[in-house]
Amino acid sequence: MKHTKVWILVTVLLLAVCLAGWLLVLGGRAGSATAQIYQGGQLVRTIDLSQVEQPYSFSVDGPAGGNTIQVEQGRIRVSHAGCPDQVCVQQGWIANGVVPIVCLPNELVIQVGGDEAEGGLDGVSG
Amino acid sequence: MKHLTLAALGLALLLASCAPAAQEYTATLLAMDTVMELTAYGPEGEGALEEAQALIQELEGLMSATDPDSEIAALNRGQTVALSPPVRELLDQALELCGATDGALDITIYPVVRAWGFPNKQYQVPDPGALAQLLERVDYAQVALSGDTLTLPEGVELDLGAVAKGYAGDRMMELFRQSGVTCAYVNLGGNVQALGASPDGDPWRIGIQDPEGTSYLAVVEVTDRAVVTSGMYQRYFEQDGVRYGHILDPDTGYPADSALSSVTIVSPSGTLADGLSTALFVLGREGAEALWRARDDFDFVLVGQDGTVTISEGIEDGFALQGAGEDYNLEVVRR
Repeated sequence: MKHTKVWILVTVLLLAVCLAGWLLVLGGRAGSATAQIYQGGQLVRTIDLSQVEQPYSFSVDGPAGGNTIQVEQGRIRVSHAGCPDQVCVQQGWIANGVVPIVCLPNELVIQVGGDEAEGGLDGVSG
Repeated sequence: MKHLTLAALGLALLLASCAPAAQEYTATLLAMDTVMELTAYGPEGEGALEEAQALIQELEGLMSATDPDSEIAALNRGQTVALSPPVRELLDQALELCGATDGALDITIYPVVRAWGFPNKQYQVPDPGALAQLLERVDYAQVALSGDTLTLPEGVELDLGAVAKGYAGDRMMELFRQSGVTCAYVNLGGNVQALGASPDGDPWRIGIQDPEGTSYLAVVEVTDRAVVTSGMYQRYFEQDGVRYGHILDPDTGYPADSALSSVTIVSPSGTLADGLSTALFVLGREGAEALWRARDDFDFVLVGQDGTVTISEGIEDGFALQGAGEDYNLEVVRR
């Protein structure tokens, strides 16, 4: 009888752990658009764009003068680049994973991920 | 004992439901003038990704026209070069595509590309007289590939930019296969290539970028395919209110003017998909359809400036206009 209780307890605990893990995984995906900022191949910052309440900006150093990145709820852009070509600044805001922002001279990449962001796509050709 | 069995059964069920999906390994790197995302699934994925990154660096070092140490740069300086196996193999495949498209793809267009300033981003509209002179040097038939060394005729210069990423995709799929990876996805600056089916067993769902905006306009479902798109929106400059795109017509030396906004090629071969996406953009709708009827190794999605999306029948199943594409008309070309 005592054993039965222990096993029930173990089973319930395991169930709870699995359920919690499952919810965490789902919760992390549903409705969120997460921006990942890479510099020189390293992930330097991750931002949940859906949780941004006040717009803000920050700088990322890079070999061509670095970049200033601006964040608002649901979207992100490069507002200043130290390099001459300014391709990343001209690209403007992105809010989904269709086209990443890339500043080659500064080795900067901004990718937005999340299920909702790409309409359940595995990737985009373009 | 009975309780134990029950508990064990419960545990097994729990473990089954909690089992993580196949391990996913990803890498992001800047190479070949673009951003590359690599994803491989399963226990062999981690090591295979390391090798794949090394492979990209190796190929870039051999093939970049702007890197003075590359084999292509040496060829373009007029040197006799003992070709490495990858350069030899890609030149073979690329020259075949140049022939098959009757020069709509021409890997000797580099002098013209340089005159427009695309490689160093010092954009300018070349003088028509100068352009006409440069065009005389453009003809892939001048590249006589025999044996393992190559010397280009004077003034002839190669640009593998229209096929190098596609070839890199093919080589990566081969590497993944040899490493025991059965499920992988790479996006090489918009060149998508997938090994096998997606991790959940369904085909990969690949969006096609809307040439007019930042969203996508259609979805195509593929297994074991490259999906490569070419369009002027990818690289262009503006001068005096005119937009000049980076896909040059080897016949005229000017940006291709074919009434298309983008061309997507779906094929088992990345090199073919890459090269034909450029060639079909130059050829336009009629030329594209004619080439498709003459071959059986690719399908296409043509986005017209008139708001029509034309696809070939091989990708009709699983194809859908979506997002920005709902305003377009869909046409299916059949054999």
